[in-house]
Amino acid sequence: MSTSVAEHGQGAGLSPEHGGHVLRVAGLQSEFRSRRGTVKAVRAVSLELEPGQRVGIVGESGSGKSAFALSVLGLLEPPGYVVGGEVILNGRNIAELDDRQMQTVRGKEISIVFQDPMSALNPVKTIGQQITETIRKHQPQLGKKGARAAAIELLRDVEVPAAGRRIDDYPHQYSGGMRQRVMIAIALANQPNVLIADEPTTALDVTTQAQVLTLLDRLVTERGTAVILITHNLGIVAQFCDVVYVMYAGRVVERAATADLFAHPVHPYTEALLRAVPRPDQLAQGPLPSIPGAPPNLAEVAPGCSFESRCPLGRGHKLCRTEVPVSTAAIGFGSGGATAECHFAKERVAEYLDGDATTA
Amino acid sequence: MLKLVLTRTAASLVAIFGASILAFVLLRVAPADPARLLAGPFATEEVVEAQRVALGLKDSLVSQYFRYIGDFFQGDWGFSFSVGRPVIDQIGSRLPASIELGLYAFIFALVGAVICALLATYRRRRAVDHTINGFALFGLGTPPFWLALIVLLVFFGILDILPGPEGRLSPRQEAPPEVTRMYTIDALLAGQLGTFFDAGKHLLLPALVLGFAPWAFFFRLLRASLLEVSGEQYLATARSKGIRRWTAFRRHALPNAFLPTLTAAGLIFAALLAGSVLVESVYQWPGLGALVRDGVIEQDYAVVQAFILIGAFAYVVVNLVVDILYGVIDPRTRTGSAVTK
Repeated sequence: MSTSVAEHGQGAGLSPEHGGHVLRVAGLQSEFRSRRGTVKAVRAVSLELEPGQRVGIVGESGSGKSAFALSVLGLLEPPGYVVGGEVILNGRNIAELDDRQMQTVRGKEISIVFQDPMSALNPVKTIGQQITETIRKHQPQLGKKGARAAAIELLRDVEVPAAGRRIDDYPHQYSGGMRQRVMIAIALANQPNVLIADEPTTALDVTTQAQVLTLLDRLVTERGTAVILITHNLGIVAQFCDVVYVMYAGRVVERAATADLFAHPVHPYTEALLRAVPRPDQLAQGPLPSIPGAPPNLAEVAPGCSFESRCPLGRGHKLCRTEVPVSTAAIGFGSGGATAECHFAKERVAEYLDGDATTA
Repeated sequence: MLKLVLTRTAASLVAIFGASILAFVLLRVAPADPARLLAGPFATEEVVEAQRVALGLKDSLVSQYFRYIGDFFQGDWGFSFSVGRPVIDQIGSRLPASIELGLYAFIFALVGAVICALLATYRRRRAVDHTINGFALFGLGTPPFWLALIVLLVFFGILDILPGPEGRLSPRQEAPPEVTRMYTIDALLAGQLGTFFDAGKHLLLPALVLGFAPWAFFFRLLRASLLEVSGEQYLATARSKGIRRWTAFRRHALPNAFLPTLTAAGLIFAALLAGSVLVESVYQWPGLGALVRDGVIEQDYAVVQAFILIGAFAYVVVNLVVDILYGVIDPRTRTGSAVTK
């Protein structure tokens, strides 16, 4: 299923069983078209999110994380197009909705916090105008005054000091961290079921990062919001997420519960990614570990495993160069549902199990 | 905001003062001798000298300047010897014609540019974009007098649906009662619809021709900024709230994209108000442009001087308005410095 494109079956809009998932993405594909060719940015990505669950998506720049987020929301702008797959939100396929119908979904059932709070707010509108815009769209019964009161309440909730006064300020009068709090307030204004946070702390300095993350943690816990956290910071993932999806070259190459992923990375890319996290105690031992090579050009996808050219395991194996690995269930340890897209996944899991058995 | 208005107004007054000095000095150093021109080519040197004294040209430059400014504020803008009328009367009859023409040309240019820029960028239709862009290049590269003649030939000469070069009204049409001396407005105020349409028909071609190049300029400026702004993240933020794409564009992209155009619009509006020699000539439009052209040719320097001052005044006032509008649209320009809140 993970490699085939899910067809839009009849009546797929309202499937009676969505298995307790608030969001289920199946085989989502998007691409960017240009004169020089088509870049397949998201190649059949599937993802499941339970109510209140936190899922992390990690991967390097250009791995398709942000394109995935925009595709889920239907906000991919030309030359980007969603070309296949299902996005089942609260039981209906929102990938099939037209833009008018999506307007009632965006900001209400699902919302997003972007990476750079400096450019995500309109410089010529007040903070209040930008928060009340989403409240008035989805809760028109509140009226102008009610929306303003709700916006002040939200600003308090995201710990903006003197919210009643600062609601009339403009973005340039806010610091980066405060602006990201405002973005979170906008995203949570209508109590969505799902929040996508696309690198919400990357543009902030480290102390602000921690504050914003703690705030986000509290807010989504209070509201029971399910979160997809997109990041390339593995430390944030370890702290925040229940499940981790590792993306590489537009595909999910590994999926596992957070603890399992850090303890037993099955896919060699995940392993290399974990090894590349700088450790202060080992800095003296030489240069930072890195993954040799560069990600493949997604405009011309070669046959075989897309990580093959950089993979320490696949060297010399013909299989890796000719066959696309299928998603293999990494059964045997940890919580269920872990998968890895590697020809050697079974062997790797077996090794881990042996290792665990001998050390136990 | 009040502080902004006050500081900008003060700066404007300084600019007008500077312009008045410039207008004054430039014409004192110009080669033409007004006393000789007044007295005529056959007058003796004594007569010319007496004329100089009578005109006050023998006084110091400073006292001449103050007399000039004092007279100016009292409505004495000098005497146009080439026409034999006080300058203020001439300008009073010519200025409203130029302002009316400039105003309509400006409205055509700006409204047209906003609509065309939105058409060219919003739907991302390459064909629409290329077509309008082609027109804009034509607009920027076409001499207005040539275009003025061509459209006159087509709409008056061949199709005969618009009036020819006969000024502001048809020969037998009486001017509406004077209020603003802009005929379309006065006609509406007096409820004379027939006069209004007649004045409008006479305005249509010159205003379109005069506004064509500014339209092209505004369009290209606005199109570029709209393209730039439409990639901004805050548009995606607005869309992620469930706002319609068009609403997001109008509410979030247009005000931001409009800022550079606003600056240019101010300069061009002032230039249009001051009249256009070429277009006014083709359409026999009794505006300032023709008056000043004649003034320069006749070395009638009271006329030119008054025109310089009026032009400077128009530029300064329009730019003051632009500065204040900037403050209204963009909060970041409201405070003198970004640090002091």
